[in-house]
Amino acid sequence: MSNTLLVSTRKGLFVLERAHGGWDVARTAFLGDNVALASIDPRDGNWYAVLDLGHFGNKLQRSSDQGRTWTECAVPAYAEGDQVITGDGKPPVPATLRLIWSLEAGGVDQPGRLWAGTIPGGLFRSDDHAASWQLVRSLWDKDERKQWFGGGFDQPGIHSICVEPGDARMIRIAISTAGVWGSDDDGATWQQCAQGMRAAYMPPERAHDPNVQDVHRLVQCRDQPNIFWAQHHNGVFLCTGPDGWREITNVSPSVFGFAVAVHPRDGNAAWFVPAIKDERRIPVDGQVVVARTRDGGKTFDVLRNGLPQKNAYDLVLRHALAIDASGDRLAFGSSTGGMWISENQGDRWAMLEARLPPVYAVTFA
Amino acid sequence: MAKVVLASALSRWLPESAGKPSEDVALVVPGARLDEVLSGVFERFPNLRGYVLDEHGAVRHHVAVFVDGTAIADKRNPTQMLSDRSEVYIMQALSGG
Repeated sequence: MSNTLLVSTRKGLFVLERAHGGWDVARTAFLGDNVALASIDPRDGNWYAVLDLGHFGNKLQRSSDQGRTWTECAVPAYAEGDQVITGDGKPPVPATLRLIWSLEAGGVDQPGRLWAGTIPGGLFRSDDHAASWQLVRSLWDKDERKQWFGGGFDQPGIHSICVEPGDARMIRIAISTAGVWGSDDDGATWQQCAQGMRAAYMPPERAHDPNVQDVHRLVQCRDQPNIFWAQHHNGVFLCTGPDGWREITNVSPSVFGFAVAVHPRDGNAAWFVPAIKDERRIPVDGQVVVARTRDGGKTFDVLRNGLPQKNAYDLVLRHALAIDASGDRLAFGSSTGGMWISENQGDRWAMLEARLPPVYAVTFA
Repeated sequence: MAKVVLASALSRWLPESAGKPSEDVALVVPGARLDEVLSGVFERFPNLRGYVLDEHGAVRHHVAVFVDGTAIADKRNPTQMLSDRSEVYIMQALSGG
C-alpha cells in the first residue's frame, strides 16, 4: 500500500506521509504557488509538478528525490499558425499553452515517454523525460477538433490520459468537451470512442453526438483494461468493451460530479463523489458522501462514515480523488481544502488535521 | 544599452547564481531596441524567456514591461527604440495576481 500522497493545491504541493497509523504533512514544495497537478512516473520514480503561475504561465518541474529538490523541465508549446477553433461559436484565436491538464507516463518499454494533455486541446508527447515536447498532430489536425469546445474553461482541454498497462500503444484520452478519443497505434491515428454517451445540455438532435460529450474524468482498470468508467457532465457511464458506453443512472445521491476512481484489479468497483448538478456544484444536503459500486453500477453504497454531514460545501474536482495500487486506500481533497483518507475502500474516512488551500489534485506515490 | 530590473516575483525563478531570490535583480544589457535587450536577458538566463514571453514571442498577458516609467504599448511586437540611459522594468502585472 502507498504511504505517500501528493496533494496539489492553489498554494503549493503538500507531501503527506503515513506514520504511526496516521497521515500528516511531511513537507511542502512551491509553497504559495499554484500547483495544478502532480504526476508520478512509476518507471523511474520521478515526480512531476505542473505549476500554473498566474503571471508567468505554465511550468513543469521534476524531482528525483521525492520532492526535496526540483528541476525545471520544458513545457509543451504551440507553433505559429496553430489555431484554436471551437464548435461553440467563439472566434478562432492563436493557440497558446493555457494549462497542462494531464500528465501520464508511457509504457515500461518506452523510457522517457510522457504524454501531456493541455488546454487548448493539444496532446503532446515527450521521449526525453520532458526535455522537449512534440504536438501530436495526428489528433490536432483532425477536422473534428474544430467542433470541440470548452467545459468550464474558454477552450477545450485534455484532462484524462489512460495508457494501457500491458500495451502502451493503446491510449484513451478524455476531453472537455469532445468525448473520448482513442489510438491503438501509439498515437499515429485516432478515433472517437464516446459512442453511447448522452449529453443532456445539447439540443436533442445532438445529444448522442460523441464529439460533444463533456467527460469530466476517465479512468481505466489496471488489470481489466477493457473496463473504463467516466464521470460525465450529466451522469456516470461505463464501458466494458466494443459495445460502447452505458449510462448508469442509479448513483445516489446524485449522478453529477467530477471525480471517479476504479479499483486496480476489479473493474466492477468504482467510487464517485456526487454533488448537486452543474448550476450549483455543492454537496447534496450539505453532506459530503462517496458513492461506491462493487457490481458494475447495479447498486451503490453511500459512504459517509468519517465525512462531514452538516453544513459541508466541499466540492471534489476531477483530479482530486485517488486510489492506490493496492485498491484499499483512497484519498480525496476538496475545493475548500478538506482532505480525507480511507484505509478500507471507503468504509471509514479519516480527516487530515490541516486546513489546506483549495485542492486540485491528489496522487498516490 | 539599458538597465534591466527583474522584479523579485520573476527573479525567484532564476538560477541561484543570479542573486537572492527575494530581491529585484538588475542587469546591464546591450541593445538599441527593446527586443534586442530582452534577447540579451534571455541569452543570460534561458529559462526566463518562457516566463516573460509566450510561445509566439508576445509579452505574456499578465507580465508588465515598463520603459522609462511607461508601460510598453505593443506587447506582441516589443521593438521600441531605447536610449543608452533607458531603464526597463519587467514585473508581474497586478491583473494576474
